Amino acid sequence: MKDKPSSNQPVVDKLYYVSRIGALLSVVLMLFPGINPSRICGYINKNMSLFTSGIAYSELVKECERAFTKGWIQESSFQLLFASSLIVCIGIALLAVCACMSLGNIKMKKAGNFFGMAGGVVEILGLTGIKAAYNQVAATSKPDKVLPVFQSNGYNFFLVLAVIGLVIAVVAQLLLWKTESEERFEMDSKYKLFLMILPFLAAAFVFSYLPLWGWRYAFFDYTSGSTLSMDKFVGFKWFTILLENAATRADILRVLRNTLAMSGLGIATSWVAMAFAIFLSEIKCGPVRRFVQTFTTIPNFISWVLVYALALAIFSTDGFVSSIFTQMGVWTEGQNLLMDPNHTWLKMLAWGMWKGVGWSAIIYIAGISGIDQQLYEAATVDGAGRFQKMWNITVPGLIPTYMVLLLMSIAGVLSNGMEQYLVFKNAINADSITVLDLYVYELGIGSGAIPLSTVVGMVKSLVSVALLFLANRISKTLRGESII
Amino acid sequence: MEKNQIDKKKKNHYNESNTFRLSKGDIVFNIINYTFYIVFTISCIFPFYYLFINTISDNELVRKGQVNFFPQGFSISNYLSLLQAKEVGQAFLVSAGRTLIGTALMVMASAFVGYLVTKQQMWHRRFWYRFLIITMYFNAGLIPWYLNMSMLGLTNTFMAYIIPGIVAPYNIILVKTYIESIPAELEESALMDGASYTVIFWKLIWPLSKPILATIAIFGAVGHWNSFQDSLILMQGAPELYTLQHRLYLYLNQASNIAAMMNSGSSALSETLQSSLLNTKVIKYTISMVSIIPILMVYPFMQKYFEKGIMMGAVKG
Repeated sequence: MKDKPSSNQPVVDKLYYVSRIGALLSVVLMLFPGINPSRICGYINKNMSLFTSGIAYSELVKECERAFTKGWIQESSFQLLFASSLIVCIGIALLAVCACMSLGNIKMKKAGNFFGMAGGVVEILGLTGIKAAYNQVAATSKPDKVLPVFQSNGYNFFLVLAVIGLVIAVVAQLLLWKTESEERFEMDSKYKLFLMILPFLAAAFVFSYLPLWGWRYAFFDYTSGSTLSMDKFVGFKWFTILLENAATRADILRVLRNTLAMSGLGIATSWVAMAFAIFLSEIKCGPVRRFVQTFTTIPNFISWVLVYALALAIFSTDGFVSSIFTQMGVWTEGQNLLMDPNHTWLKMLAWGMWKGVGWSAIIYIAGISGIDQQLYEAATVDGAGRFQKMWNITVPGLIPTYMVLLLMSIAGVLSNGMEQYLVFKNAINADSITVLDLYVYELGIGSGAIPLSTVVGMVKSLVSVALLFLANRISKTLRGESII
Repeated sequence: MEKNQIDKKKKNHYNESNTFRLSKGDIVFNIINYTFYIVFTISCIFPFYYLFINTISDNELVRKGQVNFFPQGFSISNYLSLLQAKEVGQAFLVSAGRTLIGTALMVMASAFVGYLVTKQQMWHRRFWYRFLIITMYFNAGLIPWYLNMSMLGLTNTFMAYIIPGIVAPYNIILVKTYIESIPAELEESALMDGASYTVIFWKLIWPLSKPILATIAIFGAVGHWNSFQDSLILMQGAPELYTLQHRLYLYLNQASNIAAMMNSGSSALSETLQSSLLNTKVIKYTISMVSIIPILMVYPFMQKYFEKGIMMGAVKG
C-alpha cells in the first residue's frame, strides 16, 4: 500500500466515509419505529421497529388475528412482509460488514466491496418485497378497518441509503481494480481493536443513550399505542400542568417531601456505618468479630421483596411478634405492625439500615486495617484512652472515604430506587412512602400518563446530573480529587 | 541500668493495661459493645431462622402461631407441595436461567471490553472508554427506558433479562483496573510471537484475571437473582416469564392467588396436599425460603470475594 501509492486511493477513502456513515445511519434507524417502512397497516404496533419486524413474526401479527380470520388481509402478505423485512435487515448487516472491512488493507477493501454490493442489492430486493406486501394489503376489502398506510419517508430513506451503499461499493471496486492487493487480509490494529469493541459500544448506545430519545414524549400529547406526529406537539404543556394543576402540584410536593426526607435521613445517618465498623473493631475476640461481620452482611444480598417477606413473617398479624404477644397475654389478638401509618420514614430508614449497615461497614473495616498501628501505640504511650484513640486516630483516618460516599449520596438524593417503597407500600402508608421513583412508575406504568411521568423523570435526571457535577466540584475543591 | 529498668516497667505496664488488667470502664464498654453486636447479629439471622423453622414444622402448629423458637413436628411436605405448583417452578427456572446465562455473558463481555480498553493503540480509545463509563452517571428515567425497550421489541421476552445487562460499565472498570496490574511484558512477548488480540485474551488475560472475574460474576449473579423491577415492568403481558422475586411479591400481596396456583398444579394434587396448600402463611414462607436458599448457598463463596470487590470499587480509574 505504501510503496505503490495509487492515485485513486484518496478518492476511495472519501467515498468510504460516506458509505460508513450510511451504514451507521441504517443500523441505528433500523431501531426507530417512527420510520419503519414495514408498518404498512393499522394492525402493526406503532412501537415496532424495522429490526423487530424482521426478527419477530409473532410480534408482527399479534393484532392481526381477526383480520386474518375475516379475510381482510391474506396471511401470506404478512409472511411476505416479514421475509422482506428480514431481508432488508440482512442487507443492512451486509452493508455494515462492508463499512467495517473498508478499514482494512486493499485486499480486505476489495472483499468488503462484494459484501457492499450484495448488501445493497439484497436491501433493495427486500424493500421491493415490502412494497409488494403493501400493495396486497392495500387491495383489502375493508380499508377503513385495515388502514393501509405507506411509510414513504422511511421507505425512501432506506432505499436511498441502500442505493448509495451499492453505488459506492461498485465505484470503489472499479477504482481499486487496478491497485494490486496484498497477500493477506490485514487491518491496522487501531481499527481492529475498534471494531472489536464496536458491538459493545453499540449495545451501550442502544440501551443507555437511545432512551434519551424518549424524552421527546415530554413534549407531545401521547397516549400509549398512538403515534407521535407533529400535530400532537404541545410544547411545554406538561411542564406547566405540573406546576399549575393543583392536584398534580400537591402530588409532586408530597412526593418530593418524602423523597427528600428519606434521602435526608439516610444522609444524616450515614455515619452509622462508620461507627459500626469502628466499634466492631473494638471487639478483640476474632471469631466473634468475624461472626458478626459475616451475618450482618447477609441482608444486603437479599432482594427487597425478600426483606418484605421477612418483615411479614415477623411483624404481620400472624407473625412472630403477634404470636408471642398474644401468647403472653399482652395483646388479645394479633396486630399487623406493617399497617401502622406512623413514623413511616423512620421505619423505612430502619429497614434500610438493617439491610445495608453491615455491608456499608466493610469498606470502613478495610480502611481501619489500613491505618498505621504505630499511631495507636504512640497514642497509648501518651496515655490516650479508647475513645480518644477512636476520635483522634480512627475517625480522621476514615474521613476521606466517608466524604466520597457522602458526596455520592448527596448526588443521588433524588434517586432512592423504588423497590423498597413499592414492596412496603400499602393503603395506609401510601401518602408518606411514595418517593419520586415510585411516583414515576405509578404515573407512567400504572396510570399510563406517559408524557407527564416522562417530564418528572426528565427533570429528575437533569437535577441528578447537576448534583453529581456539584458534588464532584466540591470534592475537587476540598480534596483535590474528583469522584467521577 | 536504671533507664533499662524504667523501660521494662513501662513495657510491662503497657502490656498489662492492654491485655490483662481491664479497667472497670473497659469491662462496661465491652459488655455494652458485645451485647449490641450480638443482638444486632441475631436480629439479622433470626428472621431467616424463623422462616425456616416454620416451613419445616407441622402446618397446624404453624397456623396457631406456636412455632416461634424451635421447629415442631418436623415435615418437609411444604417443599414437596411447592414442586406441584407450576407457576413457582416456572418462575424458579426463569430466575435460574437468567442468572446463569446473564451472568456468563456479562462476565465474558466485561472481561473482553475491559481488556480492549486497556489497549492504547485503539482508535480514539479514551473517547470510547468515556462513552461507556458515562452511562453509569445518568439515565433517561424509567419511562423513556421502558418505551425504548418496547420499541426494541424487548418486552415479554426472556431476552429482555439478558441483553441489556451485557455491557456493565462498573464491571468493565473493575476488570480494566485489574488487567492494568498484570505485567505488560507477558502480553508483549505474546504479541511478538504473533498471537492475535483474541488469542491473547483467551489464553493469557482470561486465566490471569480469574479472581476479578469471579468477583464480578458473584455480584452479577446476585443482582440477576434478586432483580424484580425489569420483570415487573417489561413482562406485563407474559406471566410465564415472571422472575421468582416477582412471583413472590405477587403472592405476598394476594393471598387469593394461592387458590389459582392450586388449580394450575397437577390434577393429581391429593387432598392432604390441598389442605396443606391452604395454609397461605406457610406458602409465603416456603416460597420465600426457596428464593433465599440459593443466596445462602453461594454466600460462603461470595464472602471471599466481596471484600475484594468493594475495595477495588474504591479505586476507580
